[in-house]
Amino acid sequence: MFEFTVRRLLQLPLVLFVVSLVIVGLMQFLPPSARAAAFVQSEQQLAHLDEIIQQYHLDAPFPVQYWTWLKNALHGNLGFSRVEKAPVWDAFKKRLPVSAELALYAFFPTLLVSIWLGVLAAIHRDRLLDQTVRVLSVIFWSIPTFVLGIALVAVVYGYLKLFGIGRLPPNLIIDLANQIAQHRYHPYTGLLTVDGPLNGRWDVAWAALKHLVLPVTTLVLVQGAQLVRVMRSSMLDELGKDYVRTARAKGLPEKVVYYKHARRNALIPIITLAGVMFAFLLNGVVITETIFNIPGLGQWAANAAIQLDQPAILGFALLTAFIVTTANIVVDLLYALVDPRIRYE
Amino acid sequence: MAEAILSKPKRESFWRSRAWRRFRRNPLAIAGAVIVVFFVLVAVFAPALTADRMGRNCLRDLGLRRSQAVKVLRNPLSGKFWRATLRPPKTCYKIPRKGYSPIPKAPSRRYPLGLAGGGYDIYYGLVWGTRTAFYVGILVVGIALLIGIVIGGAAGFLGGWIDNLLMRVTDVMYAFPGLVLVMVVVTIFSRTLTTIMLAIAVVAWPTYARMLRGNILKTKAQDFVDAARALGASPLRIFLRHVLPNSIGPLIILASLDIGSIVLSVAALSFLGLGPEVGFADWGQMVNFARGWIVGPPGEPLKFWYTWVWPGLAIALFVLGWNLLGDAVRDALDPRS
Repeated sequence: MFEFTVRRLLQLPLVLFVVSLVIVGLMQFLPPSARAAAFVQSEQQLAHLDEIIQQYHLDAPFPVQYWTWLKNALHGNLGFSRVEKAPVWDAFKKRLPVSAELALYAFFPTLLVSIWLGVLAAIHRDRLLDQTVRVLSVIFWSIPTFVLGIALVAVVYGYLKLFGIGRLPPNLIIDLANQIAQHRYHPYTGLLTVDGPLNGRWDVAWAALKHLVLPVTTLVLVQGAQLVRVMRSSMLDELGKDYVRTARAKGLPEKVVYYKHARRNALIPIITLAGVMFAFLLNGVVITETIFNIPGLGQWAANAAIQLDQPAILGFALLTAFIVTTANIVVDLLYALVDPRIRYE
Repeated sequence: MAEAILSKPKRESFWRSRAWRRFRRNPLAIAGAVIVVFFVLVAVFAPALTADRMGRNCLRDLGLRRSQAVKVLRNPLSGKFWRATLRPPKTCYKIPRKGYSPIPKAPSRRYPLGLAGGGYDIYYGLVWGTRTAFYVGILVVGIALLIGIVIGGAAGFLGGWIDNLLMRVTDVMYAFPGLVLVMVVVTIFSRTLTTIMLAIAVVAWPTYARMLRGNILKTKAQDFVDAARALGASPLRIFLRHVLPNSIGPLIILASLDIGSIVLSVAALSFLGLGPEVGFADWGQMVNFARGWIVGPPGEPLKFWYTWVWPGLAIALFVLGWNLLGDAVRDALDPRS
């Protein structure tokens, strides 16, 4: 297990290397002046692109360019984002916690709800409950994230006047900015629902939670719909196996058969899928942040793509690759932990 | 005796197969088929359905005057009807505008689904957007299949280190969030419908490559492949004549059912503003038009409902149709159930 962990962790830099190679390679299709933006640190420097092209050998052959880029990137210099009006690295630091908060609040409810409903549907196969779950899941699976998000904004926020748009109400944003400037509020993690209580500001956490309800609901409905289907068919597979019949034959109560025997095994494919789902969650975050006006990575990336802010997009892609690969490694390790039959030699 | 061996085995008729029977008895499958057929009809007869509201440039390129348009374009006996249906000029995909007011206008007798901000006729956009959806869906699935067949075929048939290398590349691509990759490509290259379609195809192929590789590995182990080799067939011939045709069937069916999800990705991109040029009949863009009008003025929060409900409904229904159909086909083909 230890050896496997080490080997798996060593894949992370390898994947990042390949991804960065592809990204920097793709950048060769841009003129040098556009590429230069990836090396700029401040707004003033944007006026001196020629010097930057010289300094970073942007007219040199590709290997030289990649080497310069790599050295820069390893020092945390990923270029200057026009959209953010700040270096890409700073944008990461500011916006990653915002997206992480949204993604975490969406991820776990999605898992729990879909496992619960999937198992229930499988147990009640072809009965009303199962039919309802199936029809609802195929409907929510088909509704685009952005349409569902807009519908929630219009009806729940606009018409029913519930919850909120953005990350916090404007007066709290100003208040927090002042408090941070006066060192009276410390953003330890950047997650409002964690930092708020730590600073004794329960009102901030409460407001942040209220603003998370709609985007999280959107993500849970769309992502959960796919997961329920997988969970249901995985559970059905298990219920058809011999050990379930044996368990029933020896007189175990149905509940024990379902929840102690079948569900545990049915969860194994879900772990793999959770890794893939994490990637889809990133897709969803781009769209929900745009609709609900949440200043996270996704909103930044969407704006960057529209305004052709290449350093921002490339940085975002690199960060995504890092997150997705890490998630997959975690999934592989969990897989080995959960299922004793799986051994990595 | 020899005749009996050489003659082709009789094929079970499709209409009497178990899969078809199972499909036919599934009410969700029928619902999916009805929805998809409805959209096919809308796409095919788009010119006739919108004859009374065509844009000036579209009419000019069709060589029609406005006064004749309805009569000619709704008459299947006229040549213009077929020209507009089979090869409409590009200008017809531009949504005609009624005035340029940035404020949307509620549905009326003349504009049954209302006008989006900028005076875009929502009905026209949705009808011609159906064509765009099919065009994009079919083309992207086609390109992705082609890439998947080449890579999955090479990996499965050649095996060894080539297989290993190709499958690792596929794994990396498979795990990467598609939307992000498409955003990279669209930012670096131009932002045209062609680039977007290519970018999505580049993201979509890994599923097909994996599936084909699996099928090929199974086919390769069968006796008739050995027989062909024993008869002295070249590897290329074995691949093209024996292995590929026997591995590809279900793949093509399942891939064609992905048209719905492909259209969904394209719509998401154009919703973000990364789609075809402004004014092109495209569902995602129509939702994008609605972005500033989701919540109406105080007192009338749902005033502009029609700007997002109709295009949203069109996308959701289209995708739903394909998903229902896809589910049913997968169920019908699944030997386990």
